Amino acid sequence: MPDVTITVDGRTFRVPAGTNVVDAARMGGIAIPVFCYHPRMPAVGMCRMCLVQVGMPKLDPATRQPVLDAAGQPVIAMLPKLQTGCTTPVSEGMVINTKTEEVQFAQKGVLEFLLTSHPLDCPVCDKGGECPLQNLTMQWGPGQSRFDYNDKVHFEKPVRLGDLILLDRERCILCSRCVRFQDELADDSVLGFDLRGRNWMIISKSDPPFASKFSGNTTDICPVGALTTADFRFKARVWELHSKPGICTLCPVGCNLTFDMRHDQLMRVMPRENEAVNDIWLCDKGRFGHRFMAHESRLTVPLIRHGDSFAEATWEEALTLVAEKLAAVQSARGGNAIAGLASPRLSNEDLYLFQRLFREQLGSNNLDHHLGSPDDGDHDDLGGLLSVGKGSNLAELGAGTTVLVFGADPEEEAPLYQLRLRAMAKQGATLIVANLRPTHLERSAMLRLRYNVGGELAFARALVRELLQRGGAERLKIKQNGLDALRKQMLALSAEELAATAGVTQAELTAVATALLDAENGIIMYGAEARSAGAVLVETLGAIAALSGKVERANNGLIALLPGGNSRGALDMGVRSDARPGYSLLTQRGIPARQLWHAARDGHVRALWIAGHDPAASLPAAREALAAAEFVVVQELFMTETARLADVILPAASVAERDGTYTNAERRVQRSRTARAPHGQSRPDWQIFQDVAQRLAEMVVVPAQRIAAEAPKAAKGAKGRSEQVSAKVVEPLRWDYLTPADVAAEIAERVPGYAGVTYEALTATGKPGMWGRQVNEAVFYDGTSYENTEGIGIALPSIITDGRTTLSLNPRPAPVVKDERPLILMAQPLAYGGDPLLRGSLLERQIAQPAIVISQSDATKLNIQTGDRVRLVSAVGELSATARVVHDLPAGVVMVPPGLPGLCLGSIQTGPRTRVSLVKVVV
Amino acid sequence: MLGELVKGLRTTFRYMFRQPVTVQYPEVKRPVRERFRGRHELKRFADGTERCIGCSLCSAACPADAILVVPAENDPDHPRSYGERYAVTYEINMLRCIFCAYCEDACPTNAIVLEHQYELSFYDRRASIFTKEMLLVPEDQGHGEPPPVLKQLEQRPSPPAQMDL
Repeated sequence: MPDVTITVDGRTFRVPAGTNVVDAARMGGIAIPVFCYHPRMPAVGMCRMCLVQVGMPKLDPATRQPVLDAAGQPVIAMLPKLQTGCTTPVSEGMVINTKTEEVQFAQKGVLEFLLTSHPLDCPVCDKGGECPLQNLTMQWGPGQSRFDYNDKVHFEKPVRLGDLILLDRERCILCSRCVRFQDELADDSVLGFDLRGRNWMIISKSDPPFASKFSGNTTDICPVGALTTADFRFKARVWELHSKPGICTLCPVGCNLTFDMRHDQLMRVMPRENEAVNDIWLCDKGRFGHRFMAHESRLTVPLIRHGDSFAEATWEEALTLVAEKLAAVQSARGGNAIAGLASPRLSNEDLYLFQRLFREQLGSNNLDHHLGSPDDGDHDDLGGLLSVGKGSNLAELGAGTTVLVFGADPEEEAPLYQLRLRAMAKQGATLIVANLRPTHLERSAMLRLRYNVGGELAFARALVRELLQRGGAERLKIKQNGLDALRKQMLALSAEELAATAGVTQAELTAVATALLDAENGIIMYGAEARSAGAVLVETLGAIAALSGKVERANNGLIALLPGGNSRGALDMGVRSDARPGYSLLTQRGIPARQLWHAARDGHVRALWIAGHDPAASLPAAREALAAAEFVVVQELFMTETARLADVILPAASVAERDGTYTNAERRVQRSRTARAPHGQSRPDWQIFQDVAQRLAEMVVVPAQRIAAEAPKAAKGAKGRSEQVSAKVVEPLRWDYLTPADVAAEIAERVPGYAGVTYEALTATGKPGMWGRQVNEAVFYDGTSYENTEGIGIALPSIITDGRTTLSLNPRPAPVVKDERPLILMAQPLAYGGDPLLRGSLLERQIAQPAIVISQSDATKLNIQTGDRVRLVSAVGELSATARVVHDLPAGVVMVPPGLPGLCLGSIQTGPRTRVSLVKVVV
Repeated sequence: MLGELVKGLRTTFRYMFRQPVTVQYPEVKRPVRERFRGRHELKRFADGTERCIGCSLCSAACPADAILVVPAENDPDHPRSYGERYAVTYEINMLRCIFCAYCEDACPTNAIVLEHQYELSFYDRRASIFTKEMLLVPEDQGHGEPPPVLKQLEQRPSPPAQMDL
């Protein structure tokens, strides 16, 4: 847009045309007070706080030219009344006065009216200290009110808008920021206005009340203390809090947040601005779901099993015992008899040292970050290989971008993406959502596609075929192989048949292909539902990205929504049985998690180390295996089911109790810092791994030659990708890291793609944030701190850009299902599912009830109603629970939320998609 | 020489017949000035309600960081103070306190007052932390009426506005 010249309070400067007066004045460093206006939302002009005097150059009606005065200056015609700055766009030559007597009189008047029924209870108000109403009253308000206390209108307070948010009607100034946030940004129209005049109030319209995953954000943007969270209510005053920068590890978005601490206690969690990740928002899971760190069930001391009970031990005793036992197993049966699982919520430093400990110190490749449940699926390499790449910033994308969300429910799997994708769509991006069942995000899509159950592969293949026909091969600039085979196979398929299998029309497929091809940038996001269809689908999605030329560049590629906060980091760090850090495949592979439990039960694996995972809670096979194993170490926050089966339990520090880096779904590495001292005697995971490794180094002579030989051999052309591993001189094993920064420095040196990702580099904040406690900022938009002074992270380049990696386009055959049972059982990803980290939080009440979710048509066929007892029978087991009949599930699909108590999904699953039959249990 | 001796002894003897200026401290205590700043007390209103509303302004004002206030929500049926909030923990570390009375200035309800008690000594550091129970005056020793700003917090919801439709 062209710039226009405006004059604000005598200062003349240029701003983009179309900017509103408030933002324009701010660009010139002049603050106009606002309550209702928020730059992330369209202006409504409700609060009247931004009244300014506006004048335009007078135009000669005949010539349409500005009339000039005697001095040659344009004559300014002031508008007869004050204008609201937020709804007035600037125009050429506009003159704006913000400090005249008239304006000040209006501002004082507005504030006096806003305060007529304000209870003035700032000393007990949670917003006090960061309240725009306080600030604006101090700067622009009248010194005194003409209203008597006794004339104030009183309301019942507080009003519960939902489980999490409370409304104080006396403080509310009815700016509608919360209503507009829910309507326009979150697309959860759960708030609204009720009544009129003095009784005008905010209400929740939904059932259950305030049913939104983003409700906490309304308290941030509330310019007064009207909306407060039940989580922080009367906990502390805001000036007492120390904001410690952290990263949320509860989902793969990796939102930047601050742990607001008073001394050593977590008082609240607030978002930290990062335009490229979470902007200024935070979902309720991240905001309220961090109460686990001070939960009473946290482990505080190392425990050693004595018979049937555990006895407290010192770290020295526990670590020595672990090292001795592992060394004994190692020397008696070799490294292959030892296996380890590390949770994807651990940091990169932990995961890197975990694989070092196993590969280098124990000589074992039996390690994984999966749980070892049938649900796991294959390791998602493509999400790293074709990740969105260096310099990506979803916030900048709009028109010219196509996003294909395939088989994912971002609201449940990675809630913040719901806001991000909606914001992109609002800026003009083409959002296409293809799913088996309706999702919340779908409502914002330009094009929504519903494929048949089991038809997603046909859908993806039809797209590949379409792209190939439209010259996809010419757009392939990356190193690849298998294009001819792919072309041959795809063109052999009939387009009509594919479309029919997929359940979408040819026109829809053409529209998706056109949207992808016409767009400058293209992103394909896929989630649990897509991954459950197997690696072949993900590879086909990779082929779609490659054939439409949407790889290798910034803002182009795949975003995989994986479970856990740092799954991508775990894959990058090589916590898997078949590859070293940086996806370099191994020739000599270990036992993957999926086969681990059988191997352990059969005695091939004698010792197990489980860090942060709880397989025993959901997998009967794991419980058996753990009981059968000779020695089990569990490194955990809580006394889990798995921990109960352990021989040694090591208490680990939570994310807020240690430094670490985490890699999010877009492969952005971000640093989280220590916010509090470790709980009890718990220690950071990386330190525990190092402590054991140091002891092992003294006991075991590591077969160094074998490890040295392993490196150059690594995976030539395996899976079609070749890796040139430079024959490095193998340095002697060192275990002398003092801080996680030392580990990060080694990761930067050794892990491909992580070059330059040091703690110093991660501290860079890029351009200064738009928000936060900067000069005059608090009085400007609102009082809550968003400032990010501790680094916005580093986006890693996608692996394919390293010039050595080759993308395999070789088509794989579609998986064949032999089971004849009629229904497909899938795990239902839920934000408030059985995540053990939600313990102690207010969200515990919102955790889904254990139920088997059945489609309406299947239920009608079997005469099942919600609440009936039903039984699922698969090839390996049975599961009975109450049924919940839903309308939006296609026939033939049954879903069960994983990880809920009393509903052991793992006992009947044979894979991510299990064929089951459904029986109604007649009581 | 003798002259000086006599001069000195004269002063001595003069004072022998005067009232002593010292007092026998533990047995006899001097009254302090009205504005003397000694040990703090947490006051109550005449109706026995705690004046402290748990706002932490005293701890914000404290230059020695000697005060810890942990607020909580009042039970509406048995409120401890006016409004929704009260202090569940109120501690002053008397070793840290410099008796500047900034807390008294900051207090919006005149809850904390530095009184005349000055005998503050401890056998260990832990004992220097005075808890809310120690600081709070007995229930029957309240004084004064709550100010209108506090009273209006207690008011019942206003009747619905009359609308001429």
